[in-house]
Amino acid sequence: MVNPVLLIAVPLGLAFTVPLIGSASRKLTRFVPVIASLFNLILCIRLFPAVLEHPIVINLGGFAPPFGINLFVGHLGLLFAGLISLAGLIVSIYSLSYIKTGMVVKYHMLYMLLLTGATGVVLTGDIFNLFVFFEILCISSYALVAYVGDRAGIESSIKYLIQGTVGSSLLLIGIGFLYGLFGTLNMADIAQKISTVEQGSLLVPLLLIVAGLGVEAAVFPLNAWLPDAHSSAPSSISAILSGIAIEVGLYAIARIVFTVFGISDVYLFLAFLGILTLLIGELCAFAQSNIKRMLAYSSIGQIGLILFALALASNNSVTGGLFQLINHTLSKGLLFLSAGYMIYRSGSMEISSLNGMGKRMPLTSLAFTVGAFSLIGLPPFAGFPGKFLIVSGALLQGQLVINILVGLVLLSTVIEGTYFFKVVQGLYFRKADADITPERAPAAALVAMLILMLLIVVLGVYPEPVAGFLNTAASDLLDKVSYVGSVLR
Amino acid sequence: MSFLQSNIYYVGAFGLILTGLLIVLVKHNLIKVIIGLSILDTGVNMFIIAIGYLRNGTAPIFSSPEVESVLMVDPVPQALVLTAIVIGVAVLALALSLSIRLYRHFGTLDLRKIKELKW
Repeated sequence: MVNPVLLIAVPLGLAFTVPLIGSASRKLTRFVPVIASLFNLILCIRLFPAVLEHPIVINLGGFAPPFGINLFVGHLGLLFAGLISLAGLIVSIYSLSYIKTGMVVKYHMLYMLLLTGATGVVLTGDIFNLFVFFEILCISSYALVAYVGDRAGIESSIKYLIQGTVGSSLLLIGIGFLYGLFGTLNMADIAQKISTVEQGSLLVPLLLIVAGLGVEAAVFPLNAWLPDAHSSAPSSISAILSGIAIEVGLYAIARIVFTVFGISDVYLFLAFLGILTLLIGELCAFAQSNIKRMLAYSSIGQIGLILFALALASNNSVTGGLFQLINHTLSKGLLFLSAGYMIYRSGSMEISSLNGMGKRMPLTSLAFTVGAFSLIGLPPFAGFPGKFLIVSGALLQGQLVINILVGLVLLSTVIEGTYFFKVVQGLYFRKADADITPERAPAAALVAMLILMLLIVVLGVYPEPVAGFLNTAASDLLDKVSYVGSVLR
Repeated sequence: MSFLQSNIYYVGAFGLILTGLLIVLVKHNLIKVIIGLSILDTGVNMFIIAIGYLRNGTAPIFSSPEVESVLMVDPVPQALVLTAIVIGVAVLALALSLSIRLYRHFGTLDLRKIKELKW
């Protein structure tokens, strides 16, 4: 069997060879992220049959849990690791042609560190190790937001850094409280001992950890940094921040709230928080005239929807939430990547400047349309089964409060539809101000967009196999006893 | 021993944490905000050290039999803090280098004057 440690070790090692390769040839460095994420994707596929049988637990350093650091590669961890390497591969193919100027070598190095941090967070079974990988993810994304080095980029990067650092400090205080209470850092061991102390003393660490991770996951009211950071970063980085970084934050919240703490009293609170995030994100997106800010606010909305689905904590709704998460990674990636070249050609981020792009850049406009329709939830794209599973899973619970919240979810979908249709209408049915000359995005960017479009359509037409796998991943998240059992054998 | 005396490390740690948070929230100069972040970090590190610390404790070395294990200081929090300090230094370095770039663009470090991006 291949060792899952390689999922973290290979990108980390290759990240630090990038400057060496860069001193020989700057052009060669852009292929390193492609190789690393392709390697990770193949490794995930090879690990798949073994993980389907039983989760793999790796002891780093040879100490058996609860003493050493361990990696836990279950259904959910493998799903996220695969998703990160898939999105990483597609965005790095896109960057082959998109990132040409500036500090290219540093860009590729930071990009790979970001992927390493994200993979580490989803695989680790030790809560302090989670903090360390989380910091790797955060620090590399602060630097990448400032990559262009213009006024907006620097300003949003410093805002992101200040808020993110305060969040990380809160997370660390929470971890300190947990260590003080239980004398262990192993998540399975904490989960096992959590019922030995009274619930009141768990409230403070739980709140600190959720608030700390909530900054990165962009849960309202901790998301003031997100629209600035996502709109000022280069489009490839916006795609990876929207598609990977905030989802990983959400994963960490879900893992800690469900698997480690498992206090069902806070679930309804998280569901309300999710709906609030959803409504605020969609309403702000509706008011934007800048295309990238609109997409960034739409990410906040989608995160709220996924948080709502996860917080319902039933197998059906969590399956729907994870399906929507995959859909969000793919379609928001597609939207940012296609918008990136449309902005590049039109020279402006205003939505009105994209009028008539349907004739100027037919394939790129088609990609934007597919992404927008999938995010709204139109069949036959991947958003339809995602939203359908969430709504049906929530209605199955049959509580009045949840039914009202589902009504709000559907209302927000209407708002989402309105602003996306407005852009798509402009692409195809409005006349451009300037003369029309057909143009094309470079081949590498088109390949990346075509792969994403294909995946979205395939997932939308054949959702069953993926939904079946997500169902077992959902029970991996919710079933605390089997998680503890498989780590502390 | 009084409550304050027995919990003096925790009082000090949370005093630092709250001071840091206050500075981050109320100061307008970016450098002062970054100093606030640093104080916040120090407070967190001190809190974690205090969890494992024993008054009159010794190093956890098991080779000398005359030292009893109840008197040993827990080494795990100290290892954690070592990692946290390194991370804090990295964040601080990045923040300061970003503020140099910010000053070149805007000509000021006053956060009230740097408001180009809005909701």
